[in-house]
Amino acid sequence: MPRRKDIKKVLMIGSGPIVIGQACEFDYSGSQACKALREEGFFTILVNSNPATIMTDPDMANITYIEPLTVEMVTKIIAKERPDAILPTLGGQTGLNLAFFLMKQGILKKYGVESIGASVEAISCAEDRELFKKAMQEIGIDVPRSGIATTVEQGLKIGLGIGFPLILRPAYCLGGSGGSTAYNKEELEKFLYKGLETSPVHQVLVEQSVLGWKEIEFEVMRDCVDNVIMITSMENVDPMGVHTGDSIVVAPSQSLTAEEYTNFVNLSKRIIRRVGITGGGANIQFAQNPDNGHIVIIEVNPRLSRSSALASKATGFPIARVATKLAVGLTLPEVMNQITGKTTSFFEPTVDYCVFKICRFTFEKFPRAERVINTSMKAVGEAMSIGRNFKEALQKGIRSIEISRFGFGADGKDKITDEMLAKPDNGLIRLIKDKIRIPNDERLFYIRYGLKAGLSIDEIYELSRIDRWFLDEMKELVETEDEIRKFRNNDAEKEIKVPLDLLKEAKKEGFSDRQLAYLLNSKEDKVREFRKKQNIKAVYKLVDTCAGEFHSKQPYFYSTYETQDEGRPSKNKKVVILGGGPNRIGQGIEFDYCCCHAAYALREEGTDSIMINCNPETVSTDYDTSDRLYFEPLTLEDILNVIDLEKPIGVIVQFGGQTPLNLAIPLRKAGVHILGTSAENIDIAEDRQRFKQMLHKLDLLQPENGTAFTFQEAKQVAEKIGYPVLVRPSYVLGGRAMEIVYDEATLEYFIKEAAEVSGEHPVLIDKFLEDAIEVDVDMIGDGEAFVIGGIMEHIEEAGIHSGDSAMALPTYTLSQEILDKIREATYKMAKELDVVGLMNVQYAVKDDKVYVLEVNPRASRTIPFVSKVIGVPLAKLATKIILGAKLKDLGFTKEVIPKHVAVKESVFPFNRFPGVDIILGPEMKSTGEVMGIDVDFGRAYIKSQIAAGQNLPRKGNVFISVRDKDKRAVVFIAKKLRDLGFSIYATAGTATALEKNDIKVLVLPKIAEGRPNILDLMKDGKIQLVINTPSGRIPRQDEVKIRSQVILYNIPYTTTISGAQATVNGIEAMAKKDLNVKSLQDYHKKIKSQIPNPLPGRQAGKIKNGKNKH
Amino acid sequence: MKAILMLEDGKSFAGEGLGVEGEKIGGVIFNTAVVGYQEMMTDPANAGKILVLTYPLIGNYGTAPKFNESKGVWLAGFVIKEKSRIFSNWQAKQSLDDFIKEQNLVAMSQVDTRTLAVHLRQKGEMLGIISTKNFEAKELLAKLNDFKKKPPESALPKISVSRPLHRGREKAKYKIAILDLGITNSVIRQLETMGCSITLLPYNTSAQEILSAKPKGLIISNGPEEDAGLKEVVDNIKPLINRLPILGISTGHQILAQALGAKLTKLKLGHRGVNYPIHNPASYKGEITVQNHGYVVDADALSKIKEVKVTGYNLNDRTVEEIEGKKLKIIGTQYYLASPGFNEVNSVFKKFIKMLTKE
Repeated sequence: MPRRKDIKKVLMIGSGPIVIGQACEFDYSGSQACKALREEGFFTILVNSNPATIMTDPDMANITYIEPLTVEMVTKIIAKERPDAILPTLGGQTGLNLAFFLMKQGILKKYGVESIGASVEAISCAEDRELFKKAMQEIGIDVPRSGIATTVEQGLKIGLGIGFPLILRPAYCLGGSGGSTAYNKEELEKFLYKGLETSPVHQVLVEQSVLGWKEIEFEVMRDCVDNVIMITSMENVDPMGVHTGDSIVVAPSQSLTAEEYTNFVNLSKRIIRRVGITGGGANIQFAQNPDNGHIVIIEVNPRLSRSSALASKATGFPIARVATKLAVGLTLPEVMNQITGKTTSFFEPTVDYCVFKICRFTFEKFPRAERVINTSMKAVGEAMSIGRNFKEALQKGIRSIEISRFGFGADGKDKITDEMLAKPDNGLIRLIKDKIRIPNDERLFYIRYGLKAGLSIDEIYELSRIDRWFLDEMKELVETEDEIRKFRNNDAEKEIKVPLDLLKEAKKEGFSDRQLAYLLNSKEDKVREFRKKQNIKAVYKLVDTCAGEFHSKQPYFYSTYETQDEGRPSKNKKVVILGGGPNRIGQGIEFDYCCCHAAYALREEGTDSIMINCNPETVSTDYDTSDRLYFEPLTLEDILNVIDLEKPIGVIVQFGGQTPLNLAIPLRKAGVHILGTSAENIDIAEDRQRFKQMLHKLDLLQPENGTAFTFQEAKQVAEKIGYPVLVRPSYVLGGRAMEIVYDEATLEYFIKEAAEVSGEHPVLIDKFLEDAIEVDVDMIGDGEAFVIGGIMEHIEEAGIHSGDSAMALPTYTLSQEILDKIREATYKMAKELDVVGLMNVQYAVKDDKVYVLEVNPRASRTIPFVSKVIGVPLAKLATKIILGAKLKDLGFTKEVIPKHVAVKESVFPFNRFPGVDIILGPEMKSTGEVMGIDVDFGRAYIKSQIAAGQNLPRKGNVFISVRDKDKRAVVFIAKKLRDLGFSIYATAGTATALEKNDIKVLVLPKIAEGRPNILDLMKDGKIQLVINTPSGRIPRQDEVKIRSQVILYNIPYTTTISGAQATVNGIEAMAKKDLNVKSLQDYHKKIKSQIPNPLPGRQAGKIKNGKNKH
Repeated sequence: MKAILMLEDGKSFAGEGLGVEGEKIGGVIFNTAVVGYQEMMTDPANAGKILVLTYPLIGNYGTAPKFNESKGVWLAGFVIKEKSRIFSNWQAKQSLDDFIKEQNLVAMSQVDTRTLAVHLRQKGEMLGIISTKNFEAKELLAKLNDFKKKPPESALPKISVSRPLHRGREKAKYKIAILDLGITNSVIRQLETMGCSITLLPYNTSAQEILSAKPKGLIISNGPEEDAGLKEVVDNIKPLINRLPILGISTGHQILAQALGAKLTKLKLGHRGVNYPIHNPASYKGEITVQNHGYVVDADALSKIKEVKVTGYNLNDRTVEEIEGKKLKIIGTQYYLASPGFNEVNSVFKKFIKMLTKE
């Protein structure tokens, strides 16, 4: 049926900031949806608070709002834009929940907005536990025995009735947050409290545990005439008990018989029909008892999800695009399959490879969190790998997550050595067994240790309940490893002598050159040279949706070791873009945004873009972002293989974050041309010593510093420059293991930790500039001309990682003189480094002096933010410059200083790591960001806070407790709050300081000394805002308790004085006048008049024949 | 044990022998389904073929007698990429290895079956010889040539029941006769689920004999295409049209169409997999079907037969997948009538049964 004509304007809701459980997969789905809607001629309005997304690019939707995703703000957008329909299924749980609340509150009805893709009924049926259970029972599908609790007492009664173990799931929560497993009454009670608090509707499902059962997922789509298709099955390698977002997942399922498979398909069809999705897709999760095949349904997501992104990338089927078209009334046979170019979307993709998804965790960032995984998702990112068998996919998958491992162990980095495993003592066996039994991020490696230590497949199965088929595949890898080791040379310089058949077999099983080098006692490049000489080379196969049955027009590629190469490289001029790999703290969607822009720019310039990346959540791994996509790990070996085949004119390393940048030198050594800023100059910026020399030459200031390998050296450096000092390892991302140290005793401790992370590089020690203002600058240069994109002032003082700090563009307290100094320094350095492309500089400003903290000759985390604020696509311009264009030709010759103010705020995963203190420091902890944009700083800041999930009050009670140092500064803040009508609670010390300044304060006892104390007040909902600055490195007990309670009850908080000041400004601004919405396009209109030559937009660029993918 | 697959155009694929030693010739076909190896191997429609699976990991869930579609394997050869060395499923009784050996099948693994499939896509389905004994290209090609010269043999006498055989309920409202050209158990199971009484008839049963069994309706089963014995079947069916409700499945559908006067055309590449979309020309509604055929009924010839309408096309290449003659009470489906789920029945069977009641 042709698309609906009664709808003209469609509102799309994005998913907001990247958080655990909701990452860039919704940028992928949202951008595909935007494109699909435009293809069909709809007027599209988009709202999302996350500026780092492709979907919020001003040319994706007709009107783009970067505003907080709250009912209040979206209602304002609806009132202003009057859309005919809302598409809530592409913005993750956030989008769905928001749409649901808009429906419940009658706002959609009031403005005559229809929910397309999933009706109110469908959403309720899938999301409301009670309705869902009833619906499933109606169609004869078993659900785990369960009950809904709205109080702890009720939950206990239900739980004790079902029996332990029990799974607790709070309703309407994404990524299973608050979900937990209770083994006894005490735990049940504890988790009920937590779950009820976490659930926005205060409901918890108490459920029979199907721990250890197989977890099987199906992706299903259905159109308005009831055509239903399966996209793929997926089997979780980790059985039930581990959140599917944390699980290792394979597609398709590996251990189901044809009959079982058909049965799952049949159930899936019944479910999608019963739930009532009439134009979209759903993800259905089942659990199956491995002993008798009994199936129960776990849940249905009536929307695009992380799993659907994976299914999409695993099969080549663009689920989001098709779902959008179905939502506007088209049927599956009417939507073309763009991969084959000749079949329609009404078919079921089939594969001739094995897909492996593995997660990236960041427990190292939260040392106090328990290093286990369970039903509450903790992974911050994921990678997908493809192989012709499970073994190859597994090893590529481990390489892809960039944890410095090069396969399934045997790479010289195993924690437990082969010698220890050859004669394991009881303690070691116990440790291995524990690590296999209790799911954790290192379990795969412990399975290997177990196999090497002589545990049988059956023993490991009993411990882990991981299907024996997977375990035996792992055992095969261990056997091959042992086989290879037999040909080990004693002398590393000797020639490699491994039999070719074995080498071929090893490559087919995914062994990397790095692993082979370790096993054979050789070097990676020697192994590579050896096998290339023997003609053992990677070939490329296709992801084509059809297992080769049809010729495909636009497939993507994966490497394997087989007989025939299907790579078919073109003869065109081409450039390789290295992506950023899996999301992690410090490297996320911002870099994917830049990589996508690089691909768009190359297309505009008529150069073929070749993307290498392995993150299935991203837009960069979408089939139509680049001309050719290689789904490969970002390691030297895997990249060189692609380069050998494609022979590009060069490689762009400056957009994918630290991952590709770290590969610049090795790539150059292997003879690859690095485009843009030279590898040599990248090294100057990265190498501490060379960098210091450069600053000296340019007469620029740097905090006094030194390097050290040992504690003794570090002590000398610290004494020379004076405490406090900042200690950090070289070549790391996101401030890993970075610490501010005030005395020698702590220095010793942290030097040890930093040295461990730093490896063969020295530890860096800088003078820490207390209370300095930090500034971030993004700049673009073409080697001759340099233009600043934006100067951002951090709201939190120096010492807090720039990725965690809120920042404002334009700056709001810096004097013209300081700004000029910053500009001068930036241009000087850019010139010296001969920057071609992007550069980011971090400065600290103290006592009117400007210190250079660091220079990154690459796209920074703030590029998308700056681009959106100033209305100039910096990454795209940078790509064109890298290809040879000049800033002058591109019409960007002058720094844009917007009249509006934008604030970028970070979002933290503290709610996922109970027990972790929420204070900020030099080690980055945030997973995502939001942007608040408005006419002045106060309003922009408050929007950023609301968007980040802080439900800032306009009145009520504030609790203030600050360290001595901050007591003077807090007086002013408290006064303002009092004037705004807030009541102030404080601890004794802070209260004294305030009372001295005539501020009325209610004094609260220390937690141990009386009740009601602050914890009680928070629990009772009597505290609306908490201002609490940490007393020192080792915080007081009370502080930690207060701060963790803040997270539990989602009370707005700030842990810095500068943050408190900005918050109070914002509350004041909000009190004066209600917040309003304004589109990005409207903001940009004002700027456009500032820029002399209008910038070439995406549509205006050159598009080569046949390159236009729409 | 080394093994080779040599195609008639001279392209060869080396691999590891899996089953018994031997040398077999057959039409090389590939199937893109991810699961169902045992069902495909025991489907009589694949008799005499060298079956190639594009999904690379085979044997993972073992085998069990209950998944056999017929009494054994009828393949000439079996070619896969990687055979699992263990099997893991609660229903499994035997490994794929043992199953292959028990069935005396010449089989090979470690073949780049994707490349093989792409080759067949480009060149069309063709003959091949699979061997674990002889690796000389010339000799193998000579054997293929000799094979082509030999008069075609029929597999039907072996596949089909040799005398009428009763299945399902003794007494039932619906008494169905099935002309057994290679019936699969999944079809019988669905008819049993519907409570039919079933008589399996030998493939060469005459019209008279069929009528004398007094069935309410006749099903012409699926089975091998291109078989020498099929011409006789077409002639036997002609007099039955308009005398009995008839349902033709896959090859049975081709027989039915030929009996009506239509012709067959050979596809360059057969439809073999579980993901084929068919759609009704009158609506946007369709079904995803299981298919396994190298021939289709020619649409032009069919359009001249007024009593029959095409009710389903393959959405990918617009070939005829389903026909219906309401007055004649006939249905033909080129696709398989697979069960949609455990203990469930394909809707075409339901439609056919309805046809029987409308006297």
